[in-house]
Amino acid sequence: MSGILGSALAGDMLLVGAVILPLFALPPLLLAPPRLAERLSVLVLLASLLVALALAARVGADGAALATFIGGWRPPLGVGLRADGFSAFMLVMTAVVLFATGLFAMTTPGAAPGRVARGRMPPAFWMLLASVFSALNLVFLAEDLFTLYVALELLTFAAVPLVCLDGKLAQVEAALRYLLFALFGSVLYLLGAVIIYGLYGTLDIILVARAASASPGFVLALAAMSVGMMAKAALFPLHLWLPPAHSGAPPAASAMLSAVVIKAPIFLLVRFWLDLAPTGLAVAVAPVLAGLGAAAILVGSLVALAQPRLKLLIAYSTAAQIGYLFLMFPLAVVASPWSALAWTGGALHLASHAFSKAAMFMAAGLMAEALGHDRISGLSGVGRAVPVALVAFGLGGLSLMGLPPAGGFIAKVMLLSAAIHLDAWWIAAVILAGGLLAGGYVLKVVGLALQRPAEPLAVRPVARWREWVALALALVAVGFGFVPLEPSSFLFIGRPASWAGLVP
Amino acid sequence: MGNMSTSDLLLLAAVALPLLLALAAIKPWVRRRADVLLLLAPLPGLVAALAVPVGQSLLVVPPPFRLTFALDMPGAVLLGGAALLWLAAGLYAVFYLKDDPARGTFCVWWLLTLAGSFAVFLVADVASFYLAYALVSFSAYGLATHDDTPEARRAGRVYLALTVLGEALLIAAFVMLASSVTDANPLIRDAVAGLSASPWKEAILLLLLVGFTMKMGLFPLHVWMPLAHAVAPVPGSAVLSGIVVKAGVIGLIRFLPWGEGWPDWGAGLLAVGLFTAFYGVAIGLTQRHPKRALAYSTVSQMGVVAAVLGMGLKAGDGAVPALAAFYAVNHMLLKGAMFLTVGVVASTPRGRLLPVLAVAALLGLSLAGLPFTGGALAKYAVKAPMGDGLAAFLLALSAGGTTLLMARYVLLLLDVAQEGGEALAPRGLLVPWAALSLVAVLLPFGLFTPVTGLSLGTLFSLDTLIKGLWPVALGLAVGALIYQKPPRFSEVPPGDILAAAAPLGALYARVRDSAVLLDMVLRRWSTAALAVVMLAFVLAYVMAGAAFSPPITP
Repeated sequence: MSGILGSALAGDMLLVGAVILPLFALPPLLLAPPRLAERLSVLVLLASLLVALALAARVGADGAALATFIGGWRPPLGVGLRADGFSAFMLVMTAVVLFATGLFAMTTPGAAPGRVARGRMPPAFWMLLASVFSALNLVFLAEDLFTLYVALELLTFAAVPLVCLDGKLAQVEAALRYLLFALFGSVLYLLGAVIIYGLYGTLDIILVARAASASPGFVLALAAMSVGMMAKAALFPLHLWLPPAHSGAPPAASAMLSAVVIKAPIFLLVRFWLDLAPTGLAVAVAPVLAGLGAAAILVGSLVALAQPRLKLLIAYSTAAQIGYLFLMFPLAVVASPWSALAWTGGALHLASHAFSKAAMFMAAGLMAEALGHDRISGLSGVGRAVPVALVAFGLGGLSLMGLPPAGGFIAKVMLLSAAIHLDAWWIAAVILAGGLLAGGYVLKVVGLALQRPAEPLAVRPVARWREWVALALALVAVGFGFVPLEPSSFLFIGRPASWAGLVP
Repeated sequence: MGNMSTSDLLLLAAVALPLLLALAAIKPWVRRRADVLLLLAPLPGLVAALAVPVGQSLLVVPPPFRLTFALDMPGAVLLGGAALLWLAAGLYAVFYLKDDPARGTFCVWWLLTLAGSFAVFLVADVASFYLAYALVSFSAYGLATHDDTPEARRAGRVYLALTVLGEALLIAAFVMLASSVTDANPLIRDAVAGLSASPWKEAILLLLLVGFTMKMGLFPLHVWMPLAHAVAPVPGSAVLSGIVVKAGVIGLIRFLPWGEGWPDWGAGLLAVGLFTAFYGVAIGLTQRHPKRALAYSTVSQMGVVAAVLGMGLKAGDGAVPALAAFYAVNHMLLKGAMFLTVGVVASTPRGRLLPVLAVAALLGLSLAGLPFTGGALAKYAVKAPMGDGLAAFLLALSAGGTTLLMARYVLLLLDVAQEGGEALAPRGLLVPWAALSLVAVLLPFGLFTPVTGLSLGTLFSLDTLIKGLWPVALGLAVGALIYQKPPRFSEVPPGDILAAAAPLGALYARVRDSAVLLDMVLRRWSTAALAVVMLAFVLAYVMAGAAFSPPITP
């Protein structure tokens, strides 16, 4: 009896801890001297990573979702937190990326005073990092639409200032764009949530899913909430805010924006269409989502190829790569043994993109730091200045191109297999074309960086360990290439009953 | 994994050692010991090819991941030949690049390409093959572009573009192929066994053929080869033209369905192969640099290999792959030695050139199949599957073309010789070159019986000698005529029909620019706001259509 109680308590603590713990970094940031506060922040990030790992281990060991009701209040009154396999996967992914971002952003120890000032991230960065962490975890765990709304708003308000940390005019402009469009999305989301509350008298996702039928009101609510999330995810053609925001921010901020922040609305779209909506509606909408995803891949990659600046290229690459996650929907929502594979492929793509994109933004930041600019035409020979960063960029790019042994390869093979078996030939063609175009923009940069510069480069020194942080993330993305080519049972732990039977 | 035999360890080490050395080369002091690195790396592969019994297989990582090594006859032949060439060219490179500041980087690409080339000959499961194939293909870029001249950069871009395209075609083929099997990552053998029952067999075969023949440099996808093989440093060219192109050959050997006849596909491969065999000679003859002439000769020779494989595919002859591998390994060593010759000639004064040219001529004649050389054995080995028809005649005639092209190559060598000076080429170049040349001419004698099962005696009948001799004699006679009265012609720019692809480039630029324009329009506030509203309506409309039309129930 006490054993059950003890493990129940630990489960509660893990769920609540995942949301609360990152915020423990805030008091020292306000009170302690900057250097100490920075180190304490990184410690808190590490602790949060450990909590996420413990939570995932617990979910894996139990083989069931972990759930709690805050204060013991049950829905429809109370607020529920729930971690299924997919949530736990997202929690760990986010925690690893954000911990690495923290390491990357740390001031170089022992650097000369003049250099420290240039390299140091302001305390505001660390506060925003902690808030983003907490908000993301809440998005992944919250069980009701209102808590999710709060989490999304917190995420937006923590992410937007990251764009304009340096306070330059262009950055402020980009941040405003981001803010306004994200608010547009929030309003639509709130509209949908209000309609659902009016219809069913609850905002709890599981209760709504049980009660939901394809009534006109519910259809309207789903449409509004989905478009809101698509705007926040910068899905083509709603990507106007992404390139300036992700390319204008400091590298550490770009890394987390492009790698994990953008994944929160996508996570929610997955929940809407796989957990909340009746299958009939999901099957009807999936081709529209996939069509937009295909357009994102093709147009985004082509525009990336035309960019004159490295960070813009990577930002457009993000706009393109998001498309793959939408391409997954028609394959994942149908009742077929292959949908489990498509779904695993989509999740793997999401994660390997997160790690590789964070690594690439960090590497690009280091290249820009070494050269003093990030014009692609002037990158010739930068590989000599920051060799480890170039390897990180290349390995991250390998994953985007879908080449072995990177995670992007396994994800691509899974999606391709599912597409071919479900006779979705156009999806297979888009996946392959996207790989070709990604090869174009990644290899263009790598080829230039490997060249011998015409005249010796004037290079500013870069802290080597920051290069290694980027490389470590790229290696994690590569590590996903060693996942077996079959549906992952972990991702299906605690997924709604409608999924049972699809898992082999 | 618990109890590995020596054979298992050798197979594993053949691939693992070069990879570990490449990793160790992160350290500058390791990188400086290029001599040790390049000498050590191919050794386990060489010993494995000699000592490991054919038929040995090794499961390194169990399913579902499954990394499997297996040694079969074509793989063993190609592995052994490749190891010899890597060794000789590696020793040559140590001296050739001794004053090159970027030697360390070259070493790393060398080791990676080497590991990839051994791996394609050895791995037996689909996913590992794709990995090995990607490794050898992309690492070869580093060898080809080492000199970093504008031509090298252009060659590198063309090479990369076609390589990425090839990878996309192959992954599509592999995914379709593997889907006939329940395994996550099947053995190549098992996947291919399901091909004839696959609903997409035509598509799979087309993708496989285009993907692999692109690597072999078959017309019209050969355009990268004369560019890339001519711009690399000499030892790099030797392994690119000798070994890396064989990744395509082993791909066809592993993935085509031998043992059942595919008349149409076989005939198609045969036709393209024969055409390429003559096309390579024709364009090669116009070249003004010996390395480009050699690169076009590789195009032509791979055409021959493709023709032989096509014939086997047509007839469903399971013996053909081993014979084609035998032909390929003969070409591998000869072409490697001929590329090394170019570097030797370049550091030999004109006055002392004769012995070097004599060796070059011997190598060339062996490639053309002059009786009593190793090349004659290779030509003989592929005669049987070719039959007696038109295809066999054309193949023999192509040997005449090869003779002609080789004569041209020897003459072109004169142009690259040193102008003054007395000393012979340095020993660091001469020794590996001479040793490789010797091996290239003699090795087929050792391999002939084990691979073909025929005795060497059959080669010395009068009939066989005449069949081997007339194309060479014809080639030499035509060559002499041309030499007497040289026709005027201008050099076909390397990459020949690549110029015809210019509209493709323009099309790409147009598409890209319209994407940029579209993006600019979509990133306006007014458009984006409208798009949000429209999208909401579209989603609602689609859902309403599904929910409220009678036949579909939610």
